[in-house]
Amino acid sequence: MSALISVQDLSIGFASDTVVQGVSFELHAGQCLALVGESGSGKSVTARSLLGLSGGSVAAKRLSVLGSDGRKLSDRQWRAIRGRQVAMVLQDALMSLDPLRPVGREITDALPHLRSRAERRRRAEAILGEVGMDDPARRAKQRSPELSGGMRQRALIAQALVNDPLVVIADEATTALDAQLTALVLEQLRAIKESGRAVLMISHDLAQVAQLADRIAVMRAGRIVETGPAARVLSDPQHEYTRTLLRAVPSGVPRFTPLSVTERHLPVERAEPSGTPALVATNLGKSFSGHQAVDSVSFDVPRGQTLGIVGESGSGKTTTARLVLGLQRPDSGSVSLLGEHFAPRRESARRALRQGLGAIYQNPLGSFDPRYTAGALLADALSRGRTRRVAGYRAQVSGLLEQVELDPGLIDQYPSQLSGGQRQRLAIARALAPQPAVLVLDEPVSALDVSIQATILDLLDRIQLETGTSYLFISHDLSVIEHMSDTVAVMHRGRFVETGPTAKVFGDPQHQYTRRLLTALPRFR
Amino acid sequence: MSRWARIGSTLFVLLLLLVALVPGWLAPGDPLAIDPAEAFQSPSPAHPMGTDESGRDVLTRVVHGARDSLVIGIAATALGMGVAIVLGTAAALSPRWLDAGILRLLEALYAIPSLLMALLIIAFTGPGVGPAIVAVGLSTAPGYARLVRSQIRTLRHSEMLQAATVLGRGTLLRVRNHLVPNALRPLLALITLGVGQAVIWASALSFLGLGTPPPAPEWGAMLAAGRTYLHLAWWMSLFPGLAIVVVAAGATMIGRALGGKVNAA
Repeated sequence: MSALISVQDLSIGFASDTVVQGVSFELHAGQCLALVGESGSGKSVTARSLLGLSGGSVAAKRLSVLGSDGRKLSDRQWRAIRGRQVAMVLQDALMSLDPLRPVGREITDALPHLRSRAERRRRAEAILGEVGMDDPARRAKQRSPELSGGMRQRALIAQALVNDPLVVIADEATTALDAQLTALVLEQLRAIKESGRAVLMISHDLAQVAQLADRIAVMRAGRIVETGPAARVLSDPQHEYTRTLLRAVPSGVPRFTPLSVTERHLPVERAEPSGTPALVATNLGKSFSGHQAVDSVSFDVPRGQTLGIVGESGSGKTTTARLVLGLQRPDSGSVSLLGEHFAPRRESARRALRQGLGAIYQNPLGSFDPRYTAGALLADALSRGRTRRVAGYRAQVSGLLEQVELDPGLIDQYPSQLSGGQRQRLAIARALAPQPAVLVLDEPVSALDVSIQATILDLLDRIQLETGTSYLFISHDLSVIEHMSDTVAVMHRGRFVETGPTAKVFGDPQHQYTRRLLTALPRFR
Repeated sequence: MSRWARIGSTLFVLLLLLVALVPGWLAPGDPLAIDPAEAFQSPSPAHPMGTDESGRDVLTRVVHGARDSLVIGIAATALGMGVAIVLGTAAALSPRWLDAGILRLLEALYAIPSLLMALLIIAFTGPGVGPAIVAVGLSTAPGYARLVRSQIRTLRHSEMLQAATVLGRGTLLRVRNHLVPNALRPLLALITLGVGQAVIWASALSFLGLGTPPPAPEWGAMLAAGRTYLHLAWWMSLFPGLAIVVVAAGATMIGRALGGKVNAA
C-alpha cells in the first residue's frame, strides 16, 4: 500500500540556518507516526512543511503529500490541501478559539464550498457529536468561554476533522493539559487513527507518544537520530539521545534517582523528619462568589520532606497555594509556618516570617521585573529590596548561581534573554536567597520540555538534600508528583480525596477518583 | 523605526539642546536690541529670517525663544506627570469608594477642554512663564492620571507583584521599585508626545498674551505680533510658526521611536 505522505531527504533552511536536514519518513493510512524531540529540534517545522507553511526554503528528494509533489505546489494548490486533506489540531484551545464567535461557526469556517447556512450548521453539529460532545446542537451555538476545557479541546479536534481529512497533524496537542484532558485528546486521536486516517503526532514527551504511536522518529538538531516501531524504540533504544529522553520521563522512577544524564548520583541518606512540621495547614476553606474553591483542606509538610498535591485544572490546587502563601485570605482555617501563626494574619505582622517561605511559579518570566537583570534580581532578593546593585553581594550572588548551576556569565542578562530552563533556575535561586524553610512550587516544570524538566527536578532534589528545604509541590502531572513526593494528596473539587505515602497512593489507591486519575498515567517501563 | 529616523531624531535633540543651552552660539546678537532703521527687512544674508517691526532680528529671537518654549514644554509635562502619578497610583491602590471618587473628579476635569482649563488657571494667577507651566501642566494631568491608574491596576495583580509580596516586600517598596517604574515604561512614548503638545499650548497661551510677557522672545508671542503685519512682513510669523511645528514634529518622532522600542522589548 502506498504512503499518504512520503518524505525523503527533506531540508528546511531559514536565511543561513538549516533547521531540518536529511529527514525522511513515510506515513500510511491507519497509522500514527510520532516525531519526538525537544523545542528547537525542527519537528514542528517539519510538520508545517507538509502544509506548505514551513516559512523557510524547502528542499527534498521527495515531498509527496497525498500524491501531489509538495515541492511544486503553488500557494493556491496548497490551500486546497490545507484543512481539507491534511488538517492540524491546534494546541491551545483557549487561544485558538475566538471568544466572540459560536464554536459551530469556528468549525464550519474551514468548509470549502459556499454551502447553505442550514447545511453548515448540520455539519458542525454532526462533527461535534462525532468527537463526543453532548448536546451538539446547543454546544454549536455557544462561545468558547462558555465551554469547559474538555469541550474546547473537542471543539478544536472537530475543527480539524470537519472536512474529513486523510492526514491529521497534532502538534503538541496534549502539552500542558492535565491528565484527563490528555487522555481525552489521545482517545480522539486514536479514534481518528482507527477510522483509517493517518496521524502525525509531534511531541517532546515520549511517555505520551508511547500510548498512541505505531512508529517513532526521534529528532535532534534537525535530524532524525533514530526511527523504528514504537515498541522497539521504547524498549530497546539504539541512540544515546533516545536513551536520554527515555530516562528523563519521571514516571515510576524512585525519589532522588537522577533523571538527567549530567546529574551525579545523589546520596539517598536522609534524616527522619523530626520536630514541628515546617508547614501546617488546618481546615483551609475559600469560596469565590458561591463556588467552593478550597474546602476543609488540612495537611502538614515535615521538615526536609515533600508533599505533592495533584489534581486536574480547576481542582483548587493553585488557590491552596495562594492561601498558604498569604496572597489570599482564607474564609476559614489557618496556616502556620515553623510553628508560628502565618495566615490569616496582618501583612505587616507576618512580613518577617516571609523569609521562611519561598515560591516558584509555572511562568517564572511573569514573576520577574523585566527591568532587572539576573544579577539585579538576586541582589534585590538578598538585600530585601534595598538595592539592585550586585556589587555589595557579589559572593552571595555567585554562590546562588552556582547552587542552581547557572553560568555566572548570565549575570548581566535580562530574564527575557534566558531559555525556559535557565529562567526556572534563576527563579529557584531567587527563592533560595533568604534561605527559606519551605518552598511552594506551583507547576514548576509544566512549561518545560521533558529533558529540561528532568534537569530541574534533579536540581530540586539536590537542593532538598543539601539544605533540608521542605517542598509543597503542586502539579497536574501524575508522573512528576510520583517522582518528587514523599506524601501525596489527591485534590478534586476543592477537597483532598486521598492522602498518603506516595507508594501507597500510587500502588493501592483507595478513592475511586484516584483510581480514575491513575488510569491516565502513562506507564511503559 | 528606521536607523535613519533614529539618527535624525537624536541629532535633532542634540541641536535643540544646544540651541536652548547656548543660544549665543548660533545667534550671537541680542534678541531685544531695537534698531528702528532696520524694521521690516525681508530675509537677506544679514537677516536670514528678516526683522520685525522694531528692527529686531527674527532669527536671533527664534533661537533665543527655544529655551523658554522647551522649559515650559518639559516642565509642564513633568508637573502634569507628577500630579498624574500621585493621583493615578493613589486611585488604583485605594479602596473602591476612594478610587471611584478620584476617578469622578478626574472625569469632571477631563470634561473641560484642556486649553480652557489652562485659561481658567491663568485667569487666577495672571500671565507669565511660571503660570504658563502650572496651567499647561495641571490641565494635562487628568488625562495622564487615568492612564497611570489603568497601568497600575493591570500591574497590581501581576505575578511580578505577587512574587514581591511573597519575598516580603512592603507596600512602599513594591510601589516604588516595581509598580510605578513598570507602569511608566509604556507611557514614555506618550510623555514625549506630550512635550510636543505642551510646547504648542505654551505658544498658544503666549499668542493670546497670557504666557511670556513681551518683549521677551517667545514663539507664540512673536506669532501674535507678526499677525498684525502679515500683509507686510510674512517672515515675522512664518519662522516662529515653523519653529513650533519642527519641535512638535520632532517630539512626535522621538515618541514614536520610543514607543516602538518599548513595544519590542
